[in-house]
Amino acid sequence: MTVHNLYIFSRNGQLLFYTEWNRLNKSGMTQEEEAKLMYGMLFSIKSFVNKISPLDPKEGFLYYKTSKYTLYCFETVSGLKFVLNTDNGAQNVRELLQQIYSQVYVEFVVKNPLCQLNQPIQSELFRTKLDELIKKSPIYLNRSL
Amino acid sequence: MKHQFVDPKSSSGNKGEADECLFEYLHAEIVNYVLTTSVNTGEKEEDLSRLESMGFSVGYRIIERLTREWPRFKDELDTIKFICTDFWTSLYQKQIDNLRTNHHGTYMLQDNSFRLLASIGGNGSKQYLRESPRLLAFTCGLLRGSLANLGIPCTVDAEVAALPSCKFNVYVQRI
Repeated sequence: MTVHNLYIFSRNGQLLFYTEWNRLNKSGMTQEEEAKLMYGMLFSIKSFVNKISPLDPKEGFLYYKTSKYTLYCFETVSGLKFVLNTDNGAQNVRELLQQIYSQVYVEFVVKNPLCQLNQPIQSELFRTKLDELIKKSPIYLNRSL
Repeated sequence: MKHQFVDPKSSSGNKGEADECLFEYLHAEIVNYVLTTSVNTGEKEEDLSRLESMGFSVGYRIIERLTREWPRFKDELDTIKFICTDFWTSLYQKQIDNLRTNHHGTYMLQDNSFRLLASIGGNGSKQYLRESPRLLAFTCGLLRGSLANLGIPCTVDAEVAALPSCKFNVYVQRI
């Protein structure tokens, strides 16, 4: 099992943070382009899922899976989006995303008066704590790929 | 700050997080407000005296509340010890980690994980070192005001070497 990369988007679709752990394939475009593409796709999937759902969509879009990886999306009530790519065997990724939000983002970005909200996250402490959380999670098992 | 105010002895607040961070957010906004409204004199140092004087009057009032069930303090050191333990616990949910004195009116209070700095940086990160004094000015005033009301006129300054730890130096004025 492994964790590939993480995107954090603001409610307006701005990329607040990006980091990667085991990413073997580069997209071949700049990070901004990639983020726009990613956000656009998420936006479309979300509205697609909500329209096409035969029942009342409570949580809406949660994840999609390809043959190689799974993309999990966690949206907070305030509209922040946490997007994590893992391999297909990963379990309880939603919990992990929830932890990233409540234990790392809220603690070290929201509570940091020197961090501007809805601006790309600069804080080094945030990056360190995020890395710690991911690396101690059972989902992150650094296999030589 | 917290409901611990009412009873400093009953520790561990389980009233939810909101009342704990209310002070932190308000403090952060006060700092920003003071900085944006203060007259820029063109000096390099930011003008933090207003924050400090706000802290002074808050500290002066808090002491009435926190010491109402206390007997009189024996001496100066006893007072400082109260500041390091009960006072600090009521305000920042932990005690001062290290107290030093030269027995001539200078005290050094060290907090290894100061609450207002804990979310800024850690592990020797130098990123926000330059901005951190503005988060300490209020607390300096708080200490000065509290000690003033306890009958110890003093000056207080703070230094940060490595986040999130900081030192408050108390210089008691001998008359």
